[in-house]
Amino acid sequence: MRIDPEKCTACAQCPDYCPVTCIHEGDGVYFMDEDECVECGVCLRDAGCPTEAIYMPEESNRYPRSIRAAFSDPAVQYPEELFPDLKQGGRGTEEMKTNDVTGNFPRGEFGMTLEFGRPGTGTRLREVEKVTTLLTSLGIRFEGSNALFFLLEEPERGVLKRELRDEKVLSIIVEFTLAEAQLETIVAALFEVLQTVDTVVSWGLVTRFEEDGSLPVTDRLEKLGLTVRPNAKVNMGMGRPIIED
Amino acid sequence: MSHSAHRCGTIRNLQNDYTMYARTSRHVNREGCGPKLRKILDIFLSENPVNFGSSHSGKSFAAGLDPEEYSRSLDKAYAVACCFSSASAIRNVLGKLKEADTGISIVVSGLIEEIKKIAEEVGLKPHTVLLSLGVHGRKELLPKEKVLEITTMCGHGLVATPLVEEVAEKVKEGKLTPEQGARFLAQPCPCGIFNLDRCVELLKEQLSEISQEGGEKG
Ligand code: SF4
Ligand code: SF4
Repeated sequence: MRIDPEKCTACAQCPDYCPVTCIHEGDGVYFMDEDECVECGVCLRDAGCPTEAIYMPEESNRYPRSIRAAFSDPAVQYPEELFPDLKQGGRGTEEMKTNDVTGNFPRGEFGMTLEFGRPGTGTRLREVEKVTTLLTSLGIRFEGSNALFFLLEEPERGVLKRELRDEKVLSIIVEFTLAEAQLETIVAALFEVLQTVDTVVSWGLVTRFEEDGSLPVTDRLEKLGLTVRPNAKVNMGMGRPIIED
Repeated sequence: MSHSAHRCGTIRNLQNDYTMYARTSRHVNREGCGPKLRKILDIFLSENPVNFGSSHSGKSFAAGLDPEEYSRSLDKAYAVACCFSSASAIRNVLGKLKEADTGISIVVSGLIEEIKKIAEEVGLKPHTVLLSLGVHGRKELLPKEKVLEITTMCGHGLVATPLVEEVAEKVKEGKLTPEQGARFLAQPCPCGIFNLDRCVELLKEQLSEISQEGGEKG
C-alpha cells in the first residue's frame, strides 16, 4: 500500500488502523514502511482518509509481493497462477470445518495447525521454513490441498521458494496430519523450534470426539506442557452424508 | 481459516460469545449450495445475531452489510458466518438447523463444555474439534491480554492494537460510549464474527477496573 504525498494532509487518522503499525510520519506527510506492510487493505478500506491519499500501487500485485495480499487480506482470493491446482473457491482451507463429510482427519490421526503471525504480529515467510524443514525431517508430508504447498520449492524437504523468504504476511497456516503415536515426538520437536522463530504462532490440534463425547488427547497435551484453552471450534456433525469413522 | 479458534478470554467473559459457521465442502456439497446457504442465513437471522457476514461479502453486518443483498449474493458463496451472544440463541439455531437438515457442515466456536451441553439438549453428536493450544514463540511481541481479548475477535488480525487502545481511551474519557466504541472496532473485521456485545462488556470491564484502581489508590 502507498500514500500519495501530494494528497496527504497529515491528518494522522490512518496510523492507528494498521495492524502491523507500519504507517509513520515524516516530512509533513505520512508514509508506509513498504517492507513491513503486509497489504492487508485495512487502511484503504477503513481508515476513511479524507483526501483519498491511500492507494494500492501496481507493484503490490506483482509476484512475489502479490503473496502478501493473498495471505493478509481476506477479500483477496489466492491468485490462480500461483495456486494452479487449488481452486478452493475461497482462500480458507476446509480444514476440520467439513470433516464430518470429508473424513480428512480420521480416528487414529490428529491434525495440527500452526498459525504464524497470529495474533496480530505478522510474519516473514522464512520463519515458516524453520518449521516445515523440521517437520519433513520427521516424516511429515505437505499436500496440494493446502495453500502452503504452493509456496514450497521442495515440498518433500519443506524448503520455500527462495524469492518468497523475505515476504511478509499477516498470518499463514502450516497444517498437517500425524499418527496419534507421533504426538509426543512432534510436540517436543516443535517446542524447541518455536523458541527460535521471530514471530508468534497460534497452535491448534484437530481430533475426533470419542463416542462418549470425551477428548482424551487433552490429558496427553497437558502432560506435554501444553495448555488447552476452554474455548474451541467444534464441528457439530450436521453435514451429510456423514463420515462416522 | 480457523479464524474463530483462538479467541483470547476468560471462562467468564467467553460465556456469551459464540460464532457459527456453515461451510460447504468443495467435493461434497458445494455445487448449487446457494438456496441451502440462504435457508441457513434465514435461520441465523431469526435468532437475533450480533453480527454476520463472510470474507467474500467484503463487509460485515456491523459495517453496513444489507441482509437481503447478502442473501441474494449467496449463489456465489461457499460459507456463511454469524456471531451470537447467548447460549439460548445457539440452542435455538441448532434446533432449527437440525429440522431443516440441509446437509451442510456447521461449526460452532465457544466454550467446549457449553457447546457439548447444548449439543446434548438438541440431540446432536459433536464430530471433530480444533483445540487451541495457546500462543508460542515471541510472546513479548503481543499487546496486553485485555487488548488481545478484543483484537482476537477478528481472527484474521485486522483489528489493530493501537485502534483498540485509542477507543478504550476515548471510552474512558467519556468521548465514546462502550457501544459506539464496539461498533467502531467491528469495522475492519469483514467476516462478521466480531462480537459487538462482548466488546461492549470488555470495554465496560476495563472501565470498572480503572475506577477500582482509582478507588484503591485514593
Ligand atoms: S495495507 Fe495493512 S499493513 Fe499495509 S499499511 Fe495498510 S493497514 Fe498497514
Ligand atoms: S488518513 Fe490520509 S491524509 Fe490523513 S494521514 Fe493518512 S494518508 Fe494522510
